[in-house]
Amino acid sequence: MSAEPDQSRRLDLIAGGILLLFALAWTATVWRTVPPGFDGIGPRAFPFWLGVALAVLSAVLFGRGLRGSPPPADAEDDDPPAGATVSTGLRLGLVAAVCGIIAVYGVLMQKIGFLPATALTVAATLVVVLGERRPLIVAGMALGIAVGAWLAFGQVLGAYMPRGTWISLF
Amino acid sequence: MDLLLTAAQVALAPAALLAVLAGTLLGVIFGAIPGLTFTVAMALVVPMSFSLETAPAIGLLLGTYIGGMTGGSVPAILLGIPGTPSAAATVLDGYPLTRRGKASLALGTAVVASAFGGIVSLIVMVVSVDMVAKLALRFGPAETFGLLVFGLSTICGLAQKSLVKGLIAGVLGLMVMTIGIDEMEGVQRLTFGTVVMQQGISLLVAMIALFAVPHVIDAFVDHYTGGRRIEAVADVRAELPTIRDILRDFWLMLRCALLGTGIGAIPGTGGPIAAFLAYAHAQKSSKRPERFGKGEMAGVVAPETANNAVTGGAMIPLLSLGIPGDPATAILLSGLLIHGLIPGPMLFIQNPGEIYQIYLAIIVAYVSVVAIQLLGIRFFVQVLRVPAHLLAVGIIIMCAYGAFAIRNSVFDVISVAVLGAMAYGLMRVGIPLTPIILGLVLGPAIEREFRTAMILSEGDPSVFVGSLPAAVFLGLAVLIVGTQVVRATRATLSARRTEDKASASVTPSE
Repeated sequence: MSAEPDQSRRLDLIAGGILLLFALAWTATVWRTVPPGFDGIGPRAFPFWLGVALAVLSAVLFGRGLRGSPPPADAEDDDPPAGATVSTGLRLGLVAAVCGIIAVYGVLMQKIGFLPATALTVAATLVVVLGERRPLIVAGMALGIAVGAWLAFGQVLGAYMPRGTWISLF
Repeated sequence: MDLLLTAAQVALAPAALLAVLAGTLLGVIFGAIPGLTFTVAMALVVPMSFSLETAPAIGLLLGTYIGGMTGGSVPAILLGIPGTPSAAATVLDGYPLTRRGKASLALGTAVVASAFGGIVSLIVMVVSVDMVAKLALRFGPAETFGLLVFGLSTICGLAQKSLVKGLIAGVLGLMVMTIGIDEMEGVQRLTFGTVVMQQGISLLVAMIALFAVPHVIDAFVDHYTGGRRIEAVADVRAELPTIRDILRDFWLMLRCALLGTGIGAIPGTGGPIAAFLAYAHAQKSSKRPERFGKGEMAGVVAPETANNAVTGGAMIPLLSLGIPGDPATAILLSGLLIHGLIPGPMLFIQNPGEIYQIYLAIIVAYVSVVAIQLLGIRFFVQVLRVPAHLLAVGIIIMCAYGAFAIRNSVFDVISVAVLGAMAYGLMRVGIPLTPIILGLVLGPAIEREFRTAMILSEGDPSVFVGSLPAAVFLGLAVLIVGTQVVRATRATLSARRTEDKASASVTPSE
């Protein structure tokens, strides 16, 4: 047996297990916290039955992983996912880095304003996450993206640009 | 007529024209860069359209949609890499044409075919969308519920490789939209007593997280593994085909345009299916089928006409029934909702002017596509040379600011980060993201119509089978899901038999 079906079954097992636990927690929370309403189909019905549906489907997925059902004949992936050979640690690191950058950038925008926050975020991403060492690329992209976005969104589209509560340049 | 003239005044105003042009340019760029789909562009553009008036906002969204559908042909022809899945069939003859030194003519022909397909599909849409909407006006809550469930059943078509995983994704989308204040009884659902959760998860935040964040992560992963590298492309220009060339392929283009429109009108199908069907049709009906795959121009004309005709086809269920057939139209739907336009039969009564504006914006978008592709092809070749991970850095900024701009809230930016990580996790375990969007978009309406129908019938569920349209729609939904379940079961059994045979042939020799 090739390693690919094994990997697929392991993923089914993990996904099915996690989703089953999530569905059970969801259903229990809905039952405890959402009132049934005045008639049979009140505010509780939809989230409750959706939770049950997810639990059933997750159990099927979990069972498939446990039983080792082979993936359907037409389920071969012609287009392998990005970096199919990359280590799990690096992948998790990059997920954390990207999502962390987005969250930190959101907070920074409010604290130091759009322009400095954007320039800082772009430069930090290029240097720390992508290992870019060419100063011209780093400075050019940081300033280019920050000023370009400020002009496009703030000046052309007239969208609100956060000014910053700690420092405010504009 | 007055309505059309008024709509033309608004839709052809400088701001609206500029918005269509900007959207088309962005769409073509995102469509032209392999891996950067125009769905990502649309998810990023919707929050940007907030500050615009309705007409420019519609233009920006439609321009991005149409430009993106067309842009995919540029790398398909020049590099042999489809910029979007819809352009995959164009590679088959487009790239061989480039290798034979006919890249410029192939690009020009693709542009003309794309515009032809789009305009024909627009004509079909204008004729049919009103009729469908008038029919749908007679629907009550039970019929609308049936229709929405039928729309949701197209998850099976979007489920890609596993029906169970597709259904899980759809249910997850429906679940997310139940969070917040229940709009019918004002009860808090899964808010955990917090104020920020009371308004629920923003559809746009979810869309940015689902489409853009996983793309950025993949681009970074590719950077570390030395993944995709774009080879050098020679400088080219787009060369228009002669009138004789166009007349030679006219009937093929017309047939493919109608095929693409028909396919597009079926929710859950989309551009790739239409393009490959059109390619197969062109090969079958050709006098020189043996030349397909070696650089036959009809092999570019057919898929490019059909995949662009999908845009008009997909607008039929979207505008007349409020049912999006693919991720791009789902995002388009959310963009229209933000500007107070609720797609469905009532749109034709409440906003007839905006309907004309949509038609005009589509025409302007196709004119822009032709102009941009003919004049700017050298620029796109330069864009193709920019490494994907550097473009991804810009997308991070657009993701975060786009989420912030929705409600000027940092909570939404953090939600994008959290939901983005979850979306990437789901993607990695093989759960498709597109059905989640369908669940998110259709979820609130499905619940509302179901509960209203039950209240009106005083809790009698037979209302869903008592009405013929409701019964037909629900029956069709059951049929679609049932067929897929049978197909998936058969495929699994077949795979198991193959595996058993393989292990049996190994055992005796041990």
